[in-house]
Amino acid sequence: MRLEVTKRSGNVRLLLLGLALVLAGCERGRAPGQPSEKVEVADPRQVVDFATLYATNCAGCHGVRGEGGASIGLASRGYLAVAPDAAIREAISRGRPRTAMPAFGRSAGGLLSDAQVDALVKGIRAWAPDGLETSPDAPSYLATGPGDPARGEHVFREQCGSCHRPDGRGQASVGSIVDGAYLDLVTDQYLRTTIIAGREDLGSPGWRGVIGKPLSAQDVSDTVAWLAAQRQQIPGQPYPAARLTVNKP
Amino acid sequence: MRLLNRVSQWLDARLQLREPVTKVLEHPIPRKSASWFYVFGSAALTIFMLQVVTGVLLALLYVPSAADAWNGLQSMNHQVAAGWFIRALHGWGSNFMLAVVVIHMVQVFLFGAYKFPRELTWILGVFLLLVTLGMAFTGQVLRFDQDAYWGLGIGASISSRIPGVGGALVKLLLGGPIIAGATLSRFFALHVFVVPGLLIGFVALHLLLVIKLGINDWPMPGRVVRRSTYLQEYKELTHRDGMPFVPAGVGKDIIFSGAILLAIVACAFFLGPFGPGGQPDPTIIQTAPRPDFFFLWLYALLSFLPPAYETPFLLIGPAIGLIVLLVLPFVAGEGEKSWKRRPIAVLMVMLLAGVFGSLTQLGLHTPWSPVMDAWSGEPIPANFLVHRTPLERQGALVFQAKQCHTCHALEDRGGQRGPPLDAVAVRLTPDQLIRQVIQGGGNMPAYGKSLSPAETTALVAFMGTLHPPGQAPARDASQTVLYGKEP
Ligand code: HEC
Ligand code: HEC
Ligand code: HEC
Repeated sequence: MRLEVTKRSGNVRLLLLGLALVLAGCERGRAPGQPSEKVEVADPRQVVDFATLYATNCAGCHGVRGEGGASIGLASRGYLAVAPDAAIREAISRGRPRTAMPAFGRSAGGLLSDAQVDALVKGIRAWAPDGLETSPDAPSYLATGPGDPARGEHVFREQCGSCHRPDGRGQASVGSIVDGAYLDLVTDQYLRTTIIAGREDLGSPGWRGVIGKPLSAQDVSDTVAWLAAQRQQIPGQPYPAARLTVNKP
Repeated sequence: MRLLNRVSQWLDARLQLREPVTKVLEHPIPRKSASWFYVFGSAALTIFMLQVVTGVLLALLYVPSAADAWNGLQSMNHQVAAGWFIRALHGWGSNFMLAVVVIHMVQVFLFGAYKFPRELTWILGVFLLLVTLGMAFTGQVLRFDQDAYWGLGIGASISSRIPGVGGALVKLLLGGPIIAGATLSRFFALHVFVVPGLLIGFVALHLLLVIKLGINDWPMPGRVVRRSTYLQEYKELTHRDGMPFVPAGVGKDIIFSGAILLAIVACAFFLGPFGPGGQPDPTIIQTAPRPDFFFLWLYALLSFLPPAYETPFLLIGPAIGLIVLLVLPFVAGEGEKSWKRRPIAVLMVMLLAGVFGSLTQLGLHTPWSPVMDAWSGEPIPANFLVHRTPLERQGALVFQAKQCHTCHALEDRGGQRGPPLDAVAVRLTPDQLIRQVIQGGGNMPAYGKSLSPAETTALVAFMGTLHPPGQAPARDASQTVLYGKEP
């Protein structure tokens, strides 16, 4: 008989526990299983949330929050100070052919709508710290005319040689930027952007330079022209022998 | 009370059901068969009734049109009072029903209940399994989200492989060559009229047989079934050591069915309804659809089979399985019932459970399936980028742009279809890396034509850096001899 009683009270306790669980589950009069609006799977074409768009489409190459990626850190001060919105939009929707940067805009075969591209441009711009302004002395983002490679060689030697070596082949901890395969994979605009904006993350200084004499727009164009002239006819040959047999036309 | 009595007497005078029903309810069963092992059949029946009730409620609100089905389910989830709960009950009920039916089948098999004279009961049971699977499949389609689309696609592609009638069958199923409005009406009709009709018919016959032939006796090692003597022995057993099904035998059934119902309610309440997932729009390509739990093994199987084996496996495999199940009671109709004396039967069950279990596990984790947005969404881990040359950084970008990351993980992020490449440089020399990328092989696409020499060089330069700090990368000694230093 006693046994019976303890069993009963055990059952009652279990029941109470269950009830408590259920009640705890229904915060604010909602059953835990009841679908909330948020759970809904959104149509990926309608997403205009910047964080989501950036994390799924861009973070792989430009780094989480625009830092520490393999390509340009879109959140860096140097970059945001020179790159105009129109250029960012253009790069996103059309991509950079023959580079790793794909075209994301629908018109160019990508998956992002104009609204989504706009959301990205706005979001990237919003990374700029307060008060970041484009200096009037800064070279323009886009090249204004052709550069002179011969002059560029001088500029490079003077402005960049201390770190990159005068021939650009680099030294101990600075890799070559005149490597044929490297130059084949980047556009002139990328070189220009990198030279003007610098790479804070890597230690490349940008247009203000390190010798107390900032680069002018023409200096940048000429340096890019010199770098571009280092491109090889048939880049990316794995063996030195193969590199040597290339006949210049 | 007296009125009720008179009505029931009036009815019975005409229907004359009281006597047969009482007889059925009180039919004798072997005492030992009132066991916790014998409750699954009745539980399946109980869940089926739950499915009928919730199904009718859902059918009241469901719009079987391709344009509105998905939105309809959304509003059922959000607007209709308790709509989500009914959907959840029906969805969980379906999973539980399949599970209970499968357990029931395993139990019947292990307890030798399919042997003489219950062969037909078993065969009907096999049909019931098929029909239940049919309900689960057509039900998943009615959800009409991305997963449903996927399930249908697979179903259609399996049917299309049947020689001769494949094309016609697909047309019959989908109402055309593609999944469209007609498809959904068809599956609605199948799920609501045709398959349930079959199900009810089979259940009725199955139950009739259970009652006519009596419930299986508890298998005793050494008590061998013989066609000539079994019926007599069973009769004696129920006489000697039997009891009426109602009320003595039914208690455990009621308790178990009640527990299962409670479990379904709890799952529905706490875990909620299934889907609907993303919109069923084939133009949305950023999706990773996945079928319902009970078809995951098929999903896994399809992903692993080399294309050449798919057709034979998909068509001949199920056919053989079905034939084996159907002839089982005829080839093994006599003999020992106890699983203690049927090691092969036990091994078979364990083998099948292992196979289906691991396939399902694989289906859940989908290690083979590329992580579709790893190339653009999964950064190269930062420590693979420090102190790298510009060329190596470009290599990392090629690695992303050419989607290597969708199949190959770095620091556990990214796809697992190919091996992780964190330390690939220790294993492969630059030449071997080039060969692997250009020629592919072993489920890796050959990139030969889609990589420029510069991209290959950059990629290989990047992969050459993928080795633990203390460990030197693999290198080809002959090149040191030829060129003095590494190229
Ligand atoms: C697969 C790698 C990859 C992905 C993914 C990627 N990018 Fe890029 N992006 C690059 C590369 C490489 C460049 C430089 C191309 C060149 O050489 O001009 C670049 C350049 C750019 C530029 C121009 C920089 C300049 O020169 O001013 C912008 C802006 C940009 N990306 C934004 C984005 C945004 C936004 C996304 C996401 C929607 C994105 N990228 C996704 C690789 C990528
Ligand atoms: C204070 C030293 C310093 C100076 C001055 C400097 N750089 Fe750099 N630059 C670096 C370092 C460090 C890197 C990273 C190299 C590496 O990762 O191997 C770099 C990288 C680069 C890159 C490659 C970015 C990439 O990964 O795609 C370019 C292009 C470049 N610098 C151009 C220039 C030019 C042009 C100048 C002169 C106007 C210049 N740098 C001046 C230190 C410098
Ligand atoms: C569709 C998925 C897939 C893609 C995309 C893919 N791989 Fe692979 N990769 C594999 C598989 C699977 C293997 C294993 C091949 C085998 O078993 O021989 C593999 C093997 C390799 C290996 C050899 C690894 C070792 O330890 O032996 C390397 C290196 C490699 N892949 C590099 C790449 C690169 C670089 C890319 C991008 C250009 C790439 N893979 C793209 C699936 C893929």
